[in-house]
Parts: sequence; C-alpha cells; structure tokens
Amino acid sequence: MSNRISIVIFFFLVHSVVFSQEKYEREYRISVDSVPENAKLFIEKFQFDKTVKWFAEESQDGKTIEAKSWLNDYKYSVEFTKKGNLIDVEKEVEIEELSKAIQQKINTALTDKYDKFKIKKLQIQYTGSEENVFQKVLNNVDVNNVLVQYEIVVKAKKENESKRYELLVDKNGAILKELIFKNSFYLNLEF
Amino acid sequence: MRISLAFLLGFFSLNTVFSQENTELGFLPKIVLSNKINDNSKWVNSIESRTFVEENLATTHSLVDISSIYSRKISENQSINFGYILRFEGSEQIHRTFQHFNVLSNFSALKIAHRFAFEQFYQREKQTNYRTRYRISLQKALNGERIDINEFYLKIGNEYLYDFSDLEVRLTPYLGYQLSKKDKLETGFDYRLGDVFANSQSKNLWFRITWYILL
Repeated sequence: MSNRISIVIFFFLVHSVVFSQEKYEREYRISVDSVPENAKLFIEKFQFDKTVKWFAEESQDGKTIEAKSWLNDYKYSVEFTKKGNLIDVEKEVEIEELSKAIQQKINTALTDKYDKFKIKKLQIQYTGSEENVFQKVLNNVDVNNVLVQYEIVVKAKKENESKRYELLVDKNGAILKELIFKNSFYLNLEF
Repeated sequence: MRISLAFLLGFFSLNTVFSQENTELGFLPKIVLSNKINDNSKWVNSIESRTFVEENLATTHSLVDISSIYSRKISENQSINFGYILRFEGSEQIHRTFQHFNVLSNFSALKIAHRFAFEQFYQREKQTNYRTRYRISLQKALNGERIDINEFYLKIGNEYLYDFSDLEVRLTPYLGYQLSKKDKLETGFDYRLGDVFANSQSKNLWFRITWYILL
C-alpha cells in the first residue's frame, strides 16, 4: 500500500514541477439562476425554439456570459458582460445567404490573403444597443448604430501550410482581425 | 452531470456483463510522451505494460510494449504516423512496424477522430503477419463546449482489427481529465472481443490508465 501512495505522491510532484503556471482560461455551463436579470430579459424577447444554454467564460481579462440557442434553424450566440450588458449577438449563416455584394467582398478578401481556403463557419456579428440589435437581428429593420461584421472560421493554405484561422471582416471586406487556431492537444485522439 | 451518470452506469453494466466466464481481466497502464520536432511533425514515445488479474485476484505480469512514432501533419486536420513497437512477452520479443492515417473533425462541442492503420509483425522463426485497423473516437467536454484545464471529458472509442483471418472488436469508454495545457490523464475500460468469426470468441476487459504528456 505504501508503494501505491508513494507512486501517487511522485506523480503529483513530477506534475507540479514539469507543468508550472498556466494561463487561466475557462469556459463552463452555468445555470440560468446565476444569470443577471437584464440578460435573461433580453434573451426571453427572442423566444428561441430550443432550450437556451448558458455559459461563462473566465480569463485573466475578466468574465463574460454567453447564451446559445436556435431560432428558425439558425444558431445564435449572445454575449454579455458579467453584469448582463449586451456585448454582441452572433447568428450562424451560410455565405450564400449574405447579399451578393458582401459575398464578393469576403471572397475577394480571402482570395487575396490565402492561396486556398474553405469557409468552415460564418457568423454575422451585430453590436449596438439592445433594442437596436434586437430590431436588426430579428425584424431586419434598417436601424442606425448597429455595427454589422462577419466572424469567419476558415481552413486555409498559405505558403504551403494549412491552418485554421478566425477572422473578423467588416462590411467593406476589410480583415480587421486574424487569429490562428493553435495546434490543439489531440495526442489522445491519435495514439 | 447526466453524462457523468450515464458514463458510470455504462461502466458498471460493462463490468457486470463482461466479468462473466471466459473474460480475462487486467490492467493496462500507459505513458505517452510527445516531443515537437517542428510545426508539422512530432516524435511520440510510449511505454505500456499489461498485467492479468486472476480469479483469486493474483496478478500476472504479461508483457511490456515500447513504441516510437514519427508523426507528420499533412493538412490542418490530417496526419500520418510511422512507428515501431517492441514487445517483450516472456522470453520472446515481437517487433512491429505500422503506419497510421488520422483524420480529425472538429465540431463546436464534439471532436471525432478516425484512425486507419496497417501493421506488420515480425518474430523470430515465424512468418511475418499483417493486420489492418480502423478506429473511431468521440470526445466531449463534460462541462461547457471546450475542455479546459482541470476539467473532465468523455472519450469513447470503437476499433475494428482484421488480421486477414479473423476480426477483433474493441470498445473503449474513458473518462479524461485535463491536468494542464500539456498533459491529460485518461482512465476507463478497454473491452476486446476477439476471434469474432470463430465458434468461440476471446474476451478481454482491461482497466486502462493513460497519461499523455507534451514535452
């Protein structure tokens, strides 16, 4: 028995020596009871078709809350500050559902940037006041002061290297942000 | 929580079903170490031991596998591996070379991995044997959509191994834990049903624990 205890102690000692401080980042499910009232009220207005799943995301930069659900076969993600103030609403669509002009601008931007690409996910991102965003997202009312941008995940090839990128593209087709997905830790799925 | 409960129930039913006659039981501890060579390739080494547990709970050490694998990413979600395993079984040594082709599909909360393999077995005074394998694995975080540090996840695998004469089927439900950005621990069962085409099948139920480490 003492041998087993020694092995367990050894494991934790080795573990703490080899793997020191990590950047703190965590996403987890939360119950609706822990969601601020104003965020719940905003989500209720959407009358989603499926159960709303609530998530919290914590990092060194702070905490945000996100609601995810479906309406008319579209997946929505609504992000709030920890106090329940709206950050943005994202609606997942196919590129063919965007206007021809936007499709062309996005395709041109991606063609210029990469040798080869495939869009894996595209979300329209709406940022603005709660009322304006709601009118724009659900009723497609042409309201001012709602910033519409496109968050796109692409699998792309550049300089002979294939990677996954997350891009933020504006309505003129300008790439505002490009994040490379890190090679995640999938050793356990290969070996 | 519901998933964890289902997982535990699954474990208990597996245990009940397979702890019956003709099922060999045992432990399979394994350590997998991965060294990054460059952005597209890595060198993976592992050691695995196999111990049988008899009816009277006595243990018999069966074998040790030491492997060394070169893995190369060929696209964003595909890789090929070339490896060698040296098996020490009693006084015998079995050499094995193999080639893998891996495909990983990423969904928001689910990862699905496919592994196609071809293996060659070399043993002194015996004919070289060949085996093909296909494995599908599903992995899901148990809290949220992403596996973060200090979080549990579920991994279920199903593998088919064909040695050109008979078939073996493996079912592997594991509970994993992400210890840090660079290592994770998995524990669970590895049920193997061998000689599927024969009149009587061989059955093994292993309790497996694997520590995956990125160096």
